[in-house]
Amino acid sequence: MQVKRIGVVGGGTMGQSIAEMLASQGLDVVLVEKTQEKLDHAWEMINYALDKRLEKWAITEAEKKVLLAKIHRTLDIGETASCQLVIETIHEDMEAKKEVFRELDRICPPPAILASNTSTLSLTELAETTRAPERVIGLHFIYPVSKIQLVEIIRAVKTSEETYAGTRRFVEETIQKKGILVYESPGYVTTRLICTLINEAMHTLAERVASAEDIDAAMRIGYSFGYGPLELADRFGLDSVLAALDRMFHEFGDIKYRPSFLLKQMVRAGRLGTKTGEGFFRYDKDGDRV
Amino acid sequence: MNVLVINAGSSSLKYQLYDMRDESVLAKGKVERIGMDTAILTHEPAAKPEVREVSEILEHTAAIRKVLGMLTHPQHGVLERISDIGAVGHRVVHGGETFSGSVIVDEEVKREIRRLFDLAPLHNPAHMLGIQAVEANLPDVPQVVVFDTAFHQTMPARAFLYAIPMVLYRRHKIRRYGFHGTSHAYVSERAAAFLGKPYDQLKIVTCHIGNGASCTAVLNGKSIDTSMGMTPLEGLMMGTRSGDIDPAVVPYIMAKEELSVGEVSSMLNKHSGLIAISGISSDVREVTEAMEKGDRIAGFAFEMYCYRIRKYIGAYAAAMNGIDALVFTAGVGENSAPVREVVCRELTFLGVELDEERNRTGHGKERLISKDGSKVDVLVIPTNEEWVIARDTYALVSGGQVPAADAAAEKLPWRQPLDS
Repeated sequence: MQVKRIGVVGGGTMGQSIAEMLASQGLDVVLVEKTQEKLDHAWEMINYALDKRLEKWAITEAEKKVLLAKIHRTLDIGETASCQLVIETIHEDMEAKKEVFRELDRICPPPAILASNTSTLSLTELAETTRAPERVIGLHFIYPVSKIQLVEIIRAVKTSEETYAGTRRFVEETIQKKGILVYESPGYVTTRLICTLINEAMHTLAERVASAEDIDAAMRIGYSFGYGPLELADRFGLDSVLAALDRMFHEFGDIKYRPSFLLKQMVRAGRLGTKTGEGFFRYDKDGDRV
Repeated sequence: MNVLVINAGSSSLKYQLYDMRDESVLAKGKVERIGMDTAILTHEPAAKPEVREVSEILEHTAAIRKVLGMLTHPQHGVLERISDIGAVGHRVVHGGETFSGSVIVDEEVKREIRRLFDLAPLHNPAHMLGIQAVEANLPDVPQVVVFDTAFHQTMPARAFLYAIPMVLYRRHKIRRYGFHGTSHAYVSERAAAFLGKPYDQLKIVTCHIGNGASCTAVLNGKSIDTSMGMTPLEGLMMGTRSGDIDPAVVPYIMAKEELSVGEVSSMLNKHSGLIAISGISSDVREVTEAMEKGDRIAGFAFEMYCYRIRKYIGAYAAAMNGIDALVFTAGVGENSAPVREVVCRELTFLGVELDEERNRTGHGKERLISKDGSKVDVLVIPTNEEWVIARDTYALVSGGQVPAADAAAEKLPWRQPLDS
């Protein structure tokens, strides 16, 4: 089965970024949100992201138009019935995700693949809410999706060989990204490793070993990171980092995942990173460092 | 014999059907938006009205099936049976160093075209889809491929090599290949015939100026240098492509503007050239119109565009130690009298004397536009790549030969690599 039409359920940051990437690959996207307001906001943000790419000469005006025409917006999740693949990208809340999967299970006839973009929740648990857990799989994209060429493909306990093979083909041939196979485990590979590094960077800062600026410079320049770990945390959102660490700490029971006290403090103070304009560093409203 | 000529793109496909007895065009047309449920087939039979059909065409095999259906359609068709098609010829952009002439498609040829995907990632894969689609629909019909690069395979190493470490040529075949070869070959040969002079004793500069644009030095019937390089980005300023640029500018811009490889490549290919300088359009017609209405920036862009063509003509006259004929072809070359005029205006030192009246009249025909007695003959020759493809296809499947460039003839004088 060739994937040509893809449902994206949830128009938050990840949903927007995934929809934009799919449309720039020439695929048809059905973008589903719960309210008109959220849908309009998602549309506005996709437009804004494309304007940014236009500014960098990555696309032309004509390409932007064609690309936007590929994204069909709707409040009716029923419209995903025509999709060969649906990617759920709502917020990290197990109960809400289960509700979405129950609906998708009813709406989308097999062999359509049902994927979740969750980074820490159990896919196996999610799959069990459907009648056909073998067609449920994880597709963990990394923001910004158009730029980052890696996708974690997560196999839950009951994910079938066909579902996995179809998903892998989609990742490597249709959207031409590097797919890595991950068996279900909290945080998979990317979140587990990067959050551990971020947490350690916060300990290092809290212990006054070095300044935030220098810690980031050490990793950025010393080990060719695009961003240092603290700026990376600001860009993820410190609340999201805390949630991921809490989840891993809880699941593994290993104190190496225990969130740094500094992180908890900053989240309580509402310094969440780029989205609030201040985290370990300061940012303007475009998310650029001040 | 009837020959079907195919030019397959990634989501489009153009076709032309020739009756080779009199080389007439029986029908032509195109399929656009392949891969969508609203694909458009436009069919233009020679003596009947045009047909447009919107339907679901998801891949190239289905597109070819549609085209064949249209060619044999009781009302719009021009053939009684599909078996009336005796051969199919394909345009292929990149033939690398392997192909210096047109060839009949066999397994080895297909393997080689696949090997060349790296050098022409946007074009060769689409051509391959076209070849496979014809194979699926017409399994017993011979197919021929005609390469855009083949004519330039006669270039000597001094023209095709870049002055960068030789290991890059050996490892990745990084060199000048040149494009529009079928067109440059056709118009230079036609020019010699038009002038009634022997093709193998002429120094000709051909200017293929369309959306993409390139100049070629044709010495005694062979391409000895051409302005496009490993990719169609080098050389002249084009509609949206930069043409020649200091290569050091690229990493500099990437650092200053924090651009990725993809972004800088898109910038040079899609946001540069005439559109970048004029700020109005990538289309020479629109820029000319604005210039004639007094838009000074459009006038400047136009001047710059023509200046770069003139520089290449001068360079190629030097490369050949002279020039007998200058040929303009393709969309802009055939249709823009102002471009030809401005290009030629300051070539009088070479002996180019343009006849303004001839330059402005005789649209659509092969014609001389220089004054009688001009030392250099200036001609407009409408290009006809499809016809060349049909001719080569017909010749090859009839057991004949087609001219091949005696490629990379000389033994290169490089040292044996230490690492091999």
